[in-house]
Amino acid sequence: MSSIPAGVPTREIYWNVPFHDLLYVFLVPTLAIAAWGVYRRVRLWRAGQPILRFDRLGERLDLFVKDVLAQGRVVRSSYAAFFHTGLVIGFLVLFAATTVVAIQADLKIPIMQGPFYLFFQSLTVDLFGLYVLVGCAMAGYRRWKTKPAKLVYTDEATRLVLLIGVISLTGFLCEGWRIAVTDDPWGGWSPVGFVFAAASDSMMSDSLMKTLHTGTWWFHMALSFGFVAWAPYTKMLHVLTSPLNIFTANLDGYGASLKPLDFEKAERLGVNALTDFTWKDLLDLDACTECGRCTAVCPANTVGKTLSPRDIILDLRELMHNNAPALLTTLGANGAGTKGADSSAPAGAIDAAATLPPVIREGTPLDPEALFSCTTCAACMEACPVHIEQLPKIIDARRYLVMEEAEFPEGMMNAITSLESRQHPFPGTQFNRTDWAEGLGLDVLGDMEDPTEAEVVFWVGCGGALVERNRSTVRATAKLLKRAGVKFAILGREESCTGDPARRIGNEFLYEMLAKGNVETLNKYGTKQIVTSCPHCFNSFKNEYPQFGGDYQVHHHSQYLQELVEDGRLLNGKDDVEKKLDRKVVYHDPCYLGRHNGEYKAPRALLDGALNTKREEVARSGRDSFCCGGGGGMMYIDEKPDQRVNQERASQLLESGADTVAVGCPFCATMLEDGVNARKGDREVSVMDIAELLLEAAGDDEASAPVAE
Amino acid sequence: MKILVCIKQILDPDMPARDFKVNAETKEAERGGANLVTNIFCENALETALQIKEKTSGKVTALSYGTDDTEDSLRKALAMTVDEAALILREGDSNPDAEAVAKVLAAAITKLGEFDLILMGRESGDWGVGQTGGLLAEELGLPSLAFVDSIEANDGTLTMRRQTDSGTETATVTGPALALITNNEFNVPRIPKTRDVMMSYRKPLEKFSLADIGLSAEDVSGSSFYEVTDLSIPTKDVQCEFVEGDSIDEKIGVLASKIQPVVAANS
Repeated sequence: MSSIPAGVPTREIYWNVPFHDLLYVFLVPTLAIAAWGVYRRVRLWRAGQPILRFDRLGERLDLFVKDVLAQGRVVRSSYAAFFHTGLVIGFLVLFAATTVVAIQADLKIPIMQGPFYLFFQSLTVDLFGLYVLVGCAMAGYRRWKTKPAKLVYTDEATRLVLLIGVISLTGFLCEGWRIAVTDDPWGGWSPVGFVFAAASDSMMSDSLMKTLHTGTWWFHMALSFGFVAWAPYTKMLHVLTSPLNIFTANLDGYGASLKPLDFEKAERLGVNALTDFTWKDLLDLDACTECGRCTAVCPANTVGKTLSPRDIILDLRELMHNNAPALLTTLGANGAGTKGADSSAPAGAIDAAATLPPVIREGTPLDPEALFSCTTCAACMEACPVHIEQLPKIIDARRYLVMEEAEFPEGMMNAITSLESRQHPFPGTQFNRTDWAEGLGLDVLGDMEDPTEAEVVFWVGCGGALVERNRSTVRATAKLLKRAGVKFAILGREESCTGDPARRIGNEFLYEMLAKGNVETLNKYGTKQIVTSCPHCFNSFKNEYPQFGGDYQVHHHSQYLQELVEDGRLLNGKDDVEKKLDRKVVYHDPCYLGRHNGEYKAPRALLDGALNTKREEVARSGRDSFCCGGGGGMMYIDEKPDQRVNQERASQLLESGADTVAVGCPFCATMLEDGVNARKGDREVSVMDIAELLLEAAGDDEASAPVAE
Repeated sequence: MKILVCIKQILDPDMPARDFKVNAETKEAERGGANLVTNIFCENALETALQIKEKTSGKVTALSYGTDDTEDSLRKALAMTVDEAALILREGDSNPDAEAVAKVLAAAITKLGEFDLILMGRESGDWGVGQTGGLLAEELGLPSLAFVDSIEANDGTLTMRRQTDSGTETATVTGPALALITNNEFNVPRIPKTRDVMMSYRKPLEKFSLADIGLSAEDVSGSSFYEVTDLSIPTKDVQCEFVEGDSIDEKIGVLASKIQPVVAANS
């Protein structure tokens, strides 16, 4: 380092390491092996169907900054947040330090000196190296001591933790011996190395330290190179795949995560081969870090059902890797891989695809029983730090079972059959679509001389009109709209199911028919705005109907009523409620309003305006809410008595000590009323829709729904 | 084996009771907002036919006498993998009686060709008369068996099991025959696969007028078979009274004194 004047802080690169140029010889095969490891995965993804995920680059960059660089989702778990962030930043800092060495040693640009050397290359690098070491210790402690059930325990994971730890430790040893032997005047700027130096100095001679230094240095390098070469063959590949997966994530929210199907062209309805998935679905598989957060929050899994979103991903990943040759054959036969096996694909591609094993297999995580216990609540997707899309894969598999095999649970079959012949999923209902409105004198669009006089269509929904429990909810909503002087009308008998249950159960064909029919009806009346008290209907209108030419401004009733309150049209403004409620209320977020569509505030604001008391919150609320058990067609299934999601959720809500569970969804109301009745013991607890509570606050006699018995 | 299944489209029996209305003038049920569905026993008959086809081979034809709306029921039959369907279009508004329907079906079957087996539901969920099958067998000169819950086909013979009040009877039939199907656990109608639903729109469904099958409106009207003289919905009268009293014993006493005259009046 003759170019640097004496007295300027720096250190000698490759001190005490003869033949260090050999590094470059080893670097070539190391990088080649690593590159092959990455390439062999990337080429498999290309066997998937096309999907556009490189659009809207600005939004994608935002997400990348938020959830890759800032580890936005990883840090939701504080323990993992600490050690994983340490490993990530530690890796980045150490990589920067290596780059600095390369700039100095190979490009001969003297930057590794002066304050930069002291503050960054010595102090910062040392501290973050320590952070990596602590991170490994914490990861190891979790893996070998606390052993949470959500993790996957493999030898590979053990070796990775040990390897990173040993690399970090040997780095400090080398640094320590160098500081000790060279009597480095700047050694104190490397506090960890300095401690090692001091300890070694008191125990061994300079020559011993020099010998050990050379050996350990090469050992450190061998491990580091070995790590780089091996990593792409392990789950460490997630260092590349997870950021890519986050960058190519679905930007439209969980409510818009299901793909439309082209019935004219689709060779197979739904998915039962790896090549039926999109390339992004296949990338998802390799992006999984096995953290298990998805399964830990899954309501079906929590109550003891076999569904495990994590294991679905890991099973598919294994299937993909075990069938790599067959997948690659489909790719070759197709010529242009990402075009997928479309109908014009040469026969070779179809033959190759035929040799792929089915993805739905009994006794595996993709067992039909597991697939048909998903409530489509999207908790798994919200929990995933790397934006893996578990739910669409489950629905893709359901589509295959429902549409190609017609094999699905009886309760769902009854709902589907009823949807086909009666356009609602409740066979045996004793109500028609207008019974609930008796005596309210509501306008029905079809009977109006000028339907455009109705500024808003109140979409009642099957769960509101045809289920006894919820008739008071839709009645309360209509009464409140009337009180506020909203010019609205209902469709009455012309309303039919939006198709949400059909779509979630997996019958995309029936869903499309219902959706097209509804769009036709609504457009016939020139509908512009829709209010609905059902979050499932809300989701269909908001995220799914635009595909069929149904563009409406849609409001959940909590949003619309809250606007009316804020505008002073209802309850004369929120501070002037006629009869503030003394109930102790806990609010349960419906999945299709909250997680799927991001509305957490309006229902809470509405309740807070109507209550005298402070509203309760439970741990699983908002973004982390726990499903009532009724979504995804599960409403129509008779769950085993000891595996009822609604009862589990009821217990969580009862723990708040509330006497009233407020809901904003007819499915939640039905499911939670059953659940609360089963779990409340001798307490008096009622389950009420926010509209019912608001009407009670408005002093309406009819408001009080029966208290649960 | 060539099998023909006669199916009937009826008002949805699952419609809410309060929506069900009858017209005292025409002595018919009113459609109102109710849906039309395939009669359940007819679907059991379809399922039975399809299972025989799948075990042996052959062809299943579905036939109905109805209106243009009835096409939906026939399309559903096609979606269940029936091979072809025929619809005889009814003329006039009123629902014909069993004798008229039997005449129409017989003429239609004669036009459609020869069949080894004709299946029907044991009765329809609207009127529940249960006579059409027997009358059709008479028109066609075929042996018939009612309340059949399973059929096995072996080398040209058909083994049919029928339910009776005291158990089951088994009959072996050779040659063309007609059976009226009742439900059992093996003939629960299948849920069509979506692929088959899509295909059902490409399968043949022929529509015929009465003239096409050699009948005139007079041939099928003014039947003397039976006459509906009155049609009304039974009214239910419910009275509810809560027994008052300060103690359980007193309540029991009051209850007993209220029940006694009712029991006495009915014994």
